[in-house]
Amino acid sequence: MRIIVIGGAGLAEQVAGALQRAGEEVTVVDIEPGREAALAKAGLRAVPGDAVVPSTLEAAGALRADVLVACTRYDEDNLVISLLAKKHFNVPRVIASVNDPSNEELFDESFGIDAVVSPTTALVSLIRQAT
Amino acid sequence: MEVLIMGCGRTGRALATRFAAEGDQVTVIDVDDAAGKRLPAGFGGRFLPGNGITPGVLRAAGIAHAEAFVALTANDSANIVAARVARDIFRVPRILARLHDPTRAPVYSEFGIATVGSVQTTVNRVMQLLHHQTLEPHQTFGNGETLLVRSKVPDYLAGRQVADLNVPGEIGVVELSRAGHSRIPEQSTPLESGDVLSFIVAAGSLGRLRSFLGGKWS
Repeated sequence: MRIIVIGGAGLAEQVAGALQRAGEEVTVVDIEPGREAALAKAGLRAVPGDAVVPSTLEAAGALRADVLVACTRYDEDNLVISLLAKKHFNVPRVIASVNDPSNEELFDESFGIDAVVSPTTALVSLIRQAT
Repeated sequence: MEVLIMGCGRTGRALATRFAAEGDQVTVIDVDDAAGKRLPAGFGGRFLPGNGITPGVLRAAGIAHAEAFVALTANDSANIVAARVARDIFRVPRILARLHDPTRAPVYSEFGIATVGSVQTTVNRVMQLLHHQTLEPHQTFGNGETLLVRSKVPDYLAGRQVADLNVPGEIGVVELSRAGHSRIPEQSTPLESGDVLSFIVAAGSLGRLRSFLGGKWS
């Protein structure tokens, strides 16, 4: 599968690395310049730039991607990127992560999102199940 | 009118002050709590700290009965998201979002949100004032992307046809005044010395129109 992961060092890069090791074709879009070398070393294609700008997503291969994962640190950017991916580039599967749980209700199909990941909510529910 | 403004920077403050002065009920929200302190003394509206993309913050700000929502932060993504939330979840009847990055405007217009482009408006206005002084617009549309200008037909164009001045997608002749009477000309209408024409013109084609009309650099 062709997968685009958007976000910086941390969650995005680790997700991208794991998918790449599992044999997927992964491209990472990172707004921080100078990450290309580190990403290339991990076998990942890197496209520097701001993914809210349509031309960046196009350069990352959004027109041919099977999956796009928006996991930047900013909820508004994840929402806009998801919307662009779905409505403008017709990406079949769009996954986004939520940073602030109070924004979680926005992460649905109205912003082009097929699946949502909320680390905070997941952790809280795990803790609750354990106690 | 009940107005909700997201973003308490220079523009947000000026707009909020103006609405309040005209007797409208204004609420301003900003992620920065300190931004509210910069509202002028005696400001007749309300300030609420919080992120305008968060539904809970919008509810607390009274979005349920707002008649207009204006997103004016420095963050284009936040403005677009908040505007869509205001429209789709809260059904606010009138919505405007500021967009700083002009390269994002064409795609964002697909999302159905009316945007005000501060950069584009300033660039168009400055070009018009410095570069195209001879063609003062009667009316500008959108963010200044198209303009209505009027100009006298120079003598050397007498005998040419209206069609000679039309450039698809750039310049269109929409009206002709001759001897005090106005009409909508046809492509084949011959021009006469002394005619005054109204053109609809794309901002980027003002230079081309000026060269048609033989206007001088000011």
